[in-house]
Amino acid sequence: MVSNAQGSPVKAFIVEDIRVCTFVLSAMLRMFNCEIVVANNGKEALDFFLEGKKFDIVLCDKNMPIMSGPEAVKKIRALGETDVMIVGVSADENAMEAFMSAGADVFVDKPMKIETLETMIQEVMNKKNAMI
Amino acid sequence: MAAVALKNQLNAHIASMFAAGFLDKQFQELQMLQDDGSSPGFVSEVVGLFIDDAEKITGLIAGLLDQPVVDFDKVDALVHQLKGSSASVGAQRVKLSCEQFHSYYEAKNRDGCVMALALLRNEFYDSRSKFQTMFQLEQQIEACS
Repeated sequence: MVSNAQGSPVKAFIVEDIRVCTFVLSAMLRMFNCEIVVANNGKEALDFFLEGKKFDIVLCDKNMPIMSGPEAVKKIRALGETDVMIVGVSADENAMEAFMSAGADVFVDKPMKIETLETMIQEVMNKKNAMI
Repeated sequence: MAAVALKNQLNAHIASMFAAGFLDKQFQELQMLQDDGSSPGFVSEVVGLFIDDAEKITGLIAGLLDQPVVDFDKVDALVHQLKGSSASVGAQRVKLSCEQFHSYYEAKNRDGCVMALALLRNEFYDSRSKFQTMFQLEQQIEACS
């Protein structure tokens, strides 16, 4: 079970164009009491960061209309957003390389398992708590 | 007594869906999310979304393949969406059908795509029927409680 001694929820950002995937991922994040924001493509995601929004973790799909996940990740990192954990999530064969070279911290095969998400959320929480 | 018999029937039905390859382990993840207690109707809701999306997407693909000039990039995008959607609910046969579709639109083979769509639709209709039986049994169990 994810533990957070300090009590502040993890701010999670889902970047995904497929609504079923968003629905399932949101339910998983709610298990860990995360605050959830959703963008439907890479451009929308980038716009959130350009508006100054902050997140603890980004879960980003690869193939999306308008702007792909790896392209968005590259642009987000170029804004100086180095603290946020960015997770590339995809079932595509070449996705891992695309995400990691764009600056993602982790790559996970789609669909994500609850256990995998739990580990990442705990890592984010540990980092948040260490900064307080 | 009736509820117990229905529960046994439901468990047997789900087990048969796994055994026949209609479902994969991702469906168990959905069941875990439901059993967590926060959303009792979660599985039926997300599968309902998948069914709605699949009906819409297969219709759009059929429309694209009917055009004088097929936009294979759009077909690709739609099959990709359906693959992601089916993988998220553990609808394994539909997911595998989407993967098989891939080689035909990569080759820009209209006839191959038409055949692949027919196979995909069959797998989807069979899966939909199985899910509908599952949810009917769940409703009957709830009615008994």
